[in-house]
Amino acid sequence: MADSIEAIQKSKKTYLMVFGALLVGTVLTVLVADPPEFLYWLDVGKHGFDKYDAIVGLMIATTKASLVALIFMHLNHEKKAIYWIFVNSLILCAIMFALLFLAKYSPIFDRFFYHQ
Amino acid sequence: MEIPYIVSPRKDTGLFNSKIAIWLFLASEVMLFGGFFSAYIFLRLGADYPWPERTLPVLPGLINTFVLIASSVTVVFAWAALKMRQWRQFQIYMSITVFCALLFMVLKGVEYNVKLHHQAVRLDDYSIIEGHLGYEMEDGELVLDHNGKKIEENMIRLEVVAGDKITFSSVRFHADWVEELIAEAAYSGAKLSLAANITGDENKADQGKVHFKKGTPLSVDLLKKIKAVHLEARAHNAELRTRALRQEWVVAKKENPGKKDWELSEGVSIDVNALNPLLLTELGTAAFAIDGTAELLFKPRNVKEGQESSRLRDDTVIQGKLMESPMVFHNVDAIDFQHLVMVEEKKGISPEKAIENSWLMKNNEFVREAWAWHLQRVEQLKKKLIDRHGYKKDSDGNLTDVPKREPTHKELYRIGWKDLAEKGEEQFKIELSAAEKGKENFMGPNYKARGEDTFPELSIPREEIRFAAKFAPAWNTYYAIYFTMTGLHGLHVIGGALVLAYYLFFGRKMYLENPEWLANRVEIGGLFWHFVDLVWIFVFPILYLM
Repeated sequence: MADSIEAIQKSKKTYLMVFGALLVGTVLTVLVADPPEFLYWLDVGKHGFDKYDAIVGLMIATTKASLVALIFMHLNHEKKAIYWIFVNSLILCAIMFALLFLAKYSPIFDRFFYHQ
Repeated sequence: MEIPYIVSPRKDTGLFNSKIAIWLFLASEVMLFGGFFSAYIFLRLGADYPWPERTLPVLPGLINTFVLIASSVTVVFAWAALKMRQWRQFQIYMSITVFCALLFMVLKGVEYNVKLHHQAVRLDDYSIIEGHLGYEMEDGELVLDHNGKKIEENMIRLEVVAGDKITFSSVRFHADWVEELIAEAAYSGAKLSLAANITGDENKADQGKVHFKKGTPLSVDLLKKIKAVHLEARAHNAELRTRALRQEWVVAKKENPGKKDWELSEGVSIDVNALNPLLLTELGTAAFAIDGTAELLFKPRNVKEGQESSRLRDDTVIQGKLMESPMVFHNVDAIDFQHLVMVEEKKGISPEKAIENSWLMKNNEFVREAWAWHLQRVEQLKKKLIDRHGYKKDSDGNLTDVPKREPTHKELYRIGWKDLAEKGEEQFKIELSAAEKGKENFMGPNYKARGEDTFPELSIPREEIRFAAKFAPAWNTYYAIYFTMTGLHGLHVIGGALVLAYYLFFGRKMYLENPEWLANRVEIGGLFWHFVDLVWIFVFPILYLM
């Protein structure tokens, strides 16, 4: 916890840098997703939206989100209890995303309904 | 009483209590929004229609992202100012934060408003038209209905003539609609009254009894009375039937001792004929006759129309002729064959042929013209992509004639409003100032300035319509998840802004008494605010750019 006045003064600079980084990241996301004429080489993969756009877009978003979480929300220097809470919620979130696979590959329904 | 651990940390966690609390709450929020993002992926992978990629205006979304990020910075600055005991600085930074929240919600509101006033229709062959509906006009003046309101040119019209019957369901009738019907008939100078005496059925306890007399004028009160008689009869009859059945069971059990219920159940039944004379007549429906000609208007969502009789959503059956009830667009701003192509390709029909045979191409001059223009542009785009990226190589390294990059499905089969606007500019030499064009990025096309030639009128017969809706959650699963996620996020923005505004306007007293406590509160509110920003960081690219 940055508690001394000097430490807070110092971290204000960091906040401004993060602000700049977030703005740049946002502009970059838009440019990569829909490149203007003179930046056409930014259009990776196929023309238009494809998996590369999704990966690049989500990577930038994750980086931005990490910056917010680490710097603005002080997760870079927190107490143990908070990491416990936060990491557990992320794990549960990951499980919920993993459940998506059941939509396509259902071990229960495929076997019994389609006699495979 | 003093609240413990609001300023000093607890020994075991090393934190003040409210911080633990907000993180527990944020953890639950992570899972809540995680669930929605996973629902988004699920809907997108499972969509049976072309997913509307990059369909939202990027500029408002981008500006909103900047606004939220800026407010995130100012909220930590406000916290830092409190830590350093600079009240004035705190006030400035917190005001900016609250202002940003307001700005975000205003932009969001504009975006929602544009969506909710934008009409779309999917035709029977899956081609889609987007635009704005107009109001009924006659000799350059608006036609008004019996309430003195403008009539949207998307109404189902039924003509009822003297003797036609309108039959209400006595339990399901919707009082407001009944009153509307009475008023509408009266506007045409017609009245509704009971078509025949409602009497007790033959061979029933109330045989021959006249419950309601023929000619009684229709009113909600009358329907309520009919409903009361009906419900009373039903309760009475149900009780008799139950009692009789119970009696049967008693007898059956006595006659077959030791047998299980399921062995007996088939043989146990009541004698309906014997019971009938004890029952009362149930009045499930009530038919009213009209004594003159009237034209009735219904919103499409409220009626299932038929040539001879139509049924309202409250089970009212209206006998009457279906008149021409086209859906009239006054500003068509997109023609979309993506879904049509998708459906027809599954049947093995080529896109060109499918579009050639679509109802729109066969029946509308403007669509044919726009499509011809669009095909030229697609050719130009194909050429440009080949010039830039060249052709693919085969496994031996020789050039093939397959281009490396090809236009997307959307570029091939959708003519959006920007395309139509460009076509209009080219053909009719329409020029808009940069400011007006900028405004279009927020509010949608400027129909007035661009005129009816660019965004023309188009009338679609009722029988060609498969589904119609505003760009609301009803239109497709994309808009459903878009409104759910951004709406929930918007509620968080409002909630967070209220809390931060409370610290700003009512924090002075606490600042003077216990500044560290206020600083901690602001940190907690700030943590929530950063989380709201964090969610938007994912919502923006996923909903606006992918």
